[in-house]
Amino acid sequence: MKQRKQAIQPESNLPLPAGRPPLTARKTSCLLLCLPLLSTLITGCWDNRELNELGITSGSAYDWEDNQWKATYQVINPSSGASGMGGSAGGSTTSPPFITFTVKGKTIMEAIDKTNLTSTREMFFSHSRITVLGEAMARHGINQIIDMFLRKQDARETVFVFLAKGEAGAILDQLMQMTKNQGAGIQLMIEQESRLVSYYPGVRLYELAMALSSESGSAVLPEIRLTGHKIMDETTEVAVTDLPSRLALGKLGVLKGEKLIGWLTQKQAFGLSFITDKINKATIAFPSHPKTGETPDASFILQNSSTSVRPIWDKDHYVMDIHIKGSGVLTELGSDMDLNDRASISGMEASIEQHVLELVNNSWTEVRKLGADVTGFAVRIHRSDRKRWKQIEQTKSWDNVFRDIEIRPHVSIKIERTGLSNKSFKSVQQK
Amino acid sequence: MPVHSKQGRKHTKDPVETVIPAPCPLSPSLDETLQEISLRIGTSSDVIIRRFTNESLSSLSLAFIYIDGLVNADTVNQTVIQPLMEHVTLKSDAITADKAYALIKDQMLPIGGVQEGKTVEHMLSLLFEGYTLILFNGLTMALAADTSGYEKRSVNEPTSQGVIRGPKEGFTESLRVGTSMLRRRLKTSDLRIEEYKIGQRTGTGVALVYLQGIASEAVLAEIRRRLDGIITDSILESNYIEEFIQDGGLTPFPTIQNTERPDAVAGGLLEGQVGIIIDGTPFALLAPSTFFNFFQSSEDYYQRYDISSFLRLIRYGAFFVSMLLPALYIAVTTFHQEMLPTTLLISLAAQREGVPLPALAEALLMELTFDVLREAGVRMPRTIGPAISIVGALVLGQAAVSAGLVSAAMVIVVSFTAISNFVIPSLAIANSIRLIRFLLMLIAATLGLFGIMSFLMVLLIHLAGLYSFGVPYLSPVAPMIPRYLKDIFIRVPLWNMPMRPKTSLGKETRRQGPDQKPQSIEDQKKKAQLSGQQKKPQGEDQA
Repeated sequence: MKQRKQAIQPESNLPLPAGRPPLTARKTSCLLLCLPLLSTLITGCWDNRELNELGITSGSAYDWEDNQWKATYQVINPSSGASGMGGSAGGSTTSPPFITFTVKGKTIMEAIDKTNLTSTREMFFSHSRITVLGEAMARHGINQIIDMFLRKQDARETVFVFLAKGEAGAILDQLMQMTKNQGAGIQLMIEQESRLVSYYPGVRLYELAMALSSESGSAVLPEIRLTGHKIMDETTEVAVTDLPSRLALGKLGVLKGEKLIGWLTQKQAFGLSFITDKINKATIAFPSHPKTGETPDASFILQNSSTSVRPIWDKDHYVMDIHIKGSGVLTELGSDMDLNDRASISGMEASIEQHVLELVNNSWTEVRKLGADVTGFAVRIHRSDRKRWKQIEQTKSWDNVFRDIEIRPHVSIKIERTGLSNKSFKSVQQK
Repeated sequence: MPVHSKQGRKHTKDPVETVIPAPCPLSPSLDETLQEISLRIGTSSDVIIRRFTNESLSSLSLAFIYIDGLVNADTVNQTVIQPLMEHVTLKSDAITADKAYALIKDQMLPIGGVQEGKTVEHMLSLLFEGYTLILFNGLTMALAADTSGYEKRSVNEPTSQGVIRGPKEGFTESLRVGTSMLRRRLKTSDLRIEEYKIGQRTGTGVALVYLQGIASEAVLAEIRRRLDGIITDSILESNYIEEFIQDGGLTPFPTIQNTERPDAVAGGLLEGQVGIIIDGTPFALLAPSTFFNFFQSSEDYYQRYDISSFLRLIRYGAFFVSMLLPALYIAVTTFHQEMLPTTLLISLAAQREGVPLPALAEALLMELTFDVLREAGVRMPRTIGPAISIVGALVLGQAAVSAGLVSAAMVIVVSFTAISNFVIPSLAIANSIRLIRFLLMLIAATLGLFGIMSFLMVLLIHLAGLYSFGVPYLSPVAPMIPRYLKDIFIRVPLWNMPMRPKTSLGKETRRQGPDQKPQSIEDQKKKAQLSGQQKKPQGEDQA
C-alpha cells in the first residue's frame, strides 16, 4: 500500500498554470453563502409532495352567501383519465373527470382550509385555469379575491376570470363534452372566442387587477352561463350528441371599483372590443345594398383591425377621436352585386363601416350610462394630457368628465379580397 | 532464493531496495550459470535448456535456453540451432570460446535482434520476452537472439468503439502491433516511441508515444516522471497505469482517455496529446485530456462537419439527460408540479395513482434494476445473452407497469436515461455520471430543483478545478479561449481549423496551410480579378 501512495501523489508537483491562488476560508464561506441565494431563482412551493397526494384544482368559483364566502373547487380526478390519456392508468369512463367541493368560510382561506376536512388530498392551485365569480359576490366586491390570488404562493394570476349570474359554483359542476378537464375547457373556449370572434376579451386575473387599479378603475368580465336549466353533472348524462344544457359565454359584466354595476349585451361588447382595440378576427354581417334593404345579406371577415384613440379637449369636455382601420375578406354574398365593379365594393365597405359605427355608438351609449370607464379613456387622457389629468384627479371629477365625453368614431374598412368567385351566385342564377 | 518475495517486501521499510536486487554477473562456468538460472526460474516445464558440446574434447561448450511458446520454434531451429550445430568451424577442436562468441555473433545468426548481456537478470528478462539465450562456457558474456513468436490475436474491429465510416481496425494485445499501427498512420520522423517496463512481476511493456514538436515538452516530462514513479508488481491493463498517473485522486471524472482505435490515438497525437500503449491490452491511453475530449468521436472527422456538429450537440444533450433526467423527474413531480403542463401533470398523476412507492424510491429501484441488467448483460455468457434482453424488457417495461410496481413515465425516464448514457462516445465519462446520477436523485428528492442547481454548481466548480497533466480540464471553455472553440461544441470544416487545439503546447501549432477552403473556378477567377486591387487572404483564421 505504501508503494502505491508514493506512486499516486505526483499531481502535487504539477506544472500548474499560474494565477490560481488557493481559496481562503473566507472566500469559501462566501461562496457557500452565495448558494442559498440561488433559491430566489426558484419560486413556488417548498414542500415535498407526491403526485398522488395532490388535489389538482382546475377551477374555482366564489359566491357570497349569508355574509360568508362560499368557495367551490373543482378537483381533477386523475384516474378517470381526465387528461385524455389511455392505456395503463385505465380508469373507468363512468367515474367523473373531476369532483367539486363546496365550502364556506368567513375568509377565503378559511374556506380553502375547510376542504381538508372532507378531501383526501391537499388542494393544489397552480394548475387552475379559471375562476368564476358569482353575481352576488361581484356586487359585494372582489378586492379580497384578487388580493388572495396575488398573495397566495400557488395561486395563479393567469387564471381566466368569469362572472356567473346566479350561483357560480353551479358552473363548475357542469361536465363538458370533448374536454374532460372542464377548467381547461372553459379556458380554451374563451381563448378561441377572443381569437376568432372577438366579442369578449378573455380577462386574466392580473389583467383584471391591472384594469381595476388603473386610472379608469373599471373592468369588464365575460359571463359564463348554462344554456339550459339543468346542470349536466353525471357522466352518463353527457354521453349524448346534443347536450340540452351547455356552457356558453353570455354577456359582459362591467365592474367599477370592485363591484359589478351592470352588463353589456353581446353587441355592445363587440362595439367595446372595437373601441378598446381587442379585435383579432371578427365576422361582420352587413346589408350589401344599404339603400334597398337593411337586412344583412353579406358577411365579411375582419382579419386586421387597429384602433387609435386620441383625446382632444374641446372647450369644456373631451372629444375622443377614434380611428378604426380594418381589412378583411368577403365571405358571403346574398345579393346580385357585381364585384368587378369598384363602386359596389366601396358601397359594401361603406355599409360595413356604417355597421361598425353603429356598434361603437351603441356600445358607448351604454358604457356612458353605466359611468364605468371600461374603454380605457382615462389612461389615454392621462398619457396625452398630464396637466389636466392631474387636475381631474385632484378634484375627483373623472366620473363627470367621463360622462361628458363625446366620441367621434371614424371607421375605414377595406375589402381586400372577395374570395374565390367574382360574381355572386344569385347573379349567375338570374342570367 | 526468490528475490522478490512478497513477504520480504512487506517487512522492509524501503520497498525500492528489495524490489531491485543487486545484479548477478554471469559466471564463467557454464554449469554454474545454468545452475543459477534454473535456481531462479525453477523447473518450469516450458523452459528448454539445451547443452551443445563439441564432440572432441574441446573446451567449447554452449547452451541454448528458450521458453517454449514464447518463441517461434521454426525460427529457433532454423536460425539458431541448425547453423550452430552444422557449422564446420565450431566443430573443430581448435576454436576457443572467445572466437566462437565473435563468430556466432557476427556471422552465424541471421536474426535482426541480437543482444549481448552480462548479468543473469538481463538475460532472464530477455528470455521472458521470447529471446533464445546462447550461453558460453568460459565467458562472462552471453548472446540473446530475438526469436520471439508467440500466439497473438489478429487485428480485429474494435468492439467498444465502433464507427460507420472510418478505419475498422483496433489495437490488439500486442504492444508491437500497436506501435506499428501508429507508425503506419504517422510516417514521420517526429513520431517517437519510448518504451518502459513497468511492474516487477509482470514486466509489462509500456510505450510512450508522441510527436516530437507537437506534444508539449512539459506534459511529456510530467508523464515520464509519473511513469518512472510507478512502483508496482503488476500492470495488467491500461487502467493500472491510468490510476497511477492520473491527476486529482478524488474525482469521478476521467482525466485520461482510453481508446481501442489507432486512428483516435493518431488523431490525439496530432493534436498534441501523448499516447500510452500498454502491452497486454488493446486499450491505449491518451493524455492530457480535457472534459470536451470525451465527447469527440473519431468519426466526427470522418463525416461531414454539419452532421458531426449536430451529433456532437446531441451528445452533450445526452450527457445532461443521462445525468439529470431522473433527478429532474423526481424534483418536478414532487416539488414543482406547477412547472408541468396541466395535461402532462394529470396523466402523470393518473399513472402514479396505483404506484405504492414514492417517486424517489421508484426511480432508485428502476435505475438500480437497469444497472443490474446492464452488468448482467456484460458478464453473461454470450450464448444466453438473448435471454437477458427478454427478461430485461419485462423488468424494465410494460410488465413492471402492469404489475403496479412503477409508473409508465418512470419506465420511459429510466430507459431514456440509459439510452442517453450510451450516446456518449467515451465509456469513461459515461460511467462517471452513472454514479453522479444517483447522488443527484437523492438531492432532488430532498431539495428539489434548488438542490439540483446547487449540486451542479458544486460539480462545475469541481470540474473547473481539475487539471489533466497541467491542462485545465474545462479548457478551452474555462479558461475561455474563443479561437479554440472550433472543435468543441461544433466541429467547423477542416479547412477552417488551421491551428491545433489548445492542449498542444508544443511549438508547431499550425497544422495546415492557409486558404484551404476549396475554391470553385469562378471563385478563383474572381480572386484573380480582386488580387489586382488588393491582396488579402480570404476569410482565414489568422490565430
